[in-house]
Amino acid sequence: MDDILNIVIVAALIWHAALLGVALWRVARGESAVDRLLGVELVSVLILCLLVLIALFTGQDLYMDVALIVAALSFIGTLALARYLADQRMF
Amino acid sequence: MDSTLKLVLQVIALLAIVAGSLFSLIGVLGLIRLPDVYTRLHAAGKVSVFGAALLVVAAVALESLGLGKALVLIVLLIIAGPAVSHALASAAYRTGVPMQRAARDDLAEQRGRPLSSGPRSADPSSDLPV
Repeated sequence: MDDILNIVIVAALIWHAALLGVALWRVARGESAVDRLLGVELVSVLILCLLVLIALFTGQDLYMDVALIVAALSFIGTLALARYLADQRMF
Repeated sequence: MDSTLKLVLQVIALLAIVAGSLFSLIGVLGLIRLPDVYTRLHAAGKVSVFGAALLVVAAVALESLGLGKALVLIVLLIIAGPAVSHALASAAYRTGVPMQRAARDDLAEQRGRPLSSGPRSADPSSDLPV
């Protein structure tokens, strides 16, 4: 069972890395600024998925902390940039 | 008894990892294939609410990696995902990103604007909170 789990975790890691590449390509050729911002948000969520999978693979608690910080910072950053795009000011 | 519990937790983790990966695939596929920003937002929201949250559930079930931190992370993901999607949709509408094959636009009727209009009007009364 442990072998199966390890194989599945490594496969999910490779899988999410491939999806990350697709999302980055989408950011590079986005149609509008909001489109690119959506791509950046998706990239940050996929990085969070990668960090959680690395935490599962190595069994270290530390990577969950990093995932938490990534989630909080990307949330605030995307909200601020969306408001900047709509209003041409942040506050 | 203890080994049975471990096996059940491992099966839960396995199913959660597979389901989360499938949700991530659906989200990225929607990001590529769907026609405009508003429909793409619908697809990309799935990745943060289901994909990442299910992976965190797997992490808790398998290794019990920081239960409190994982709970905070899941709550943050479930709150932040829809909020970000809403803010991005509002920004897209107000910067005048056109809709593809839109059947109706209730907000435009309410604000006296034509369907899929151009850049945001200078009328300050038309400002919506983000």
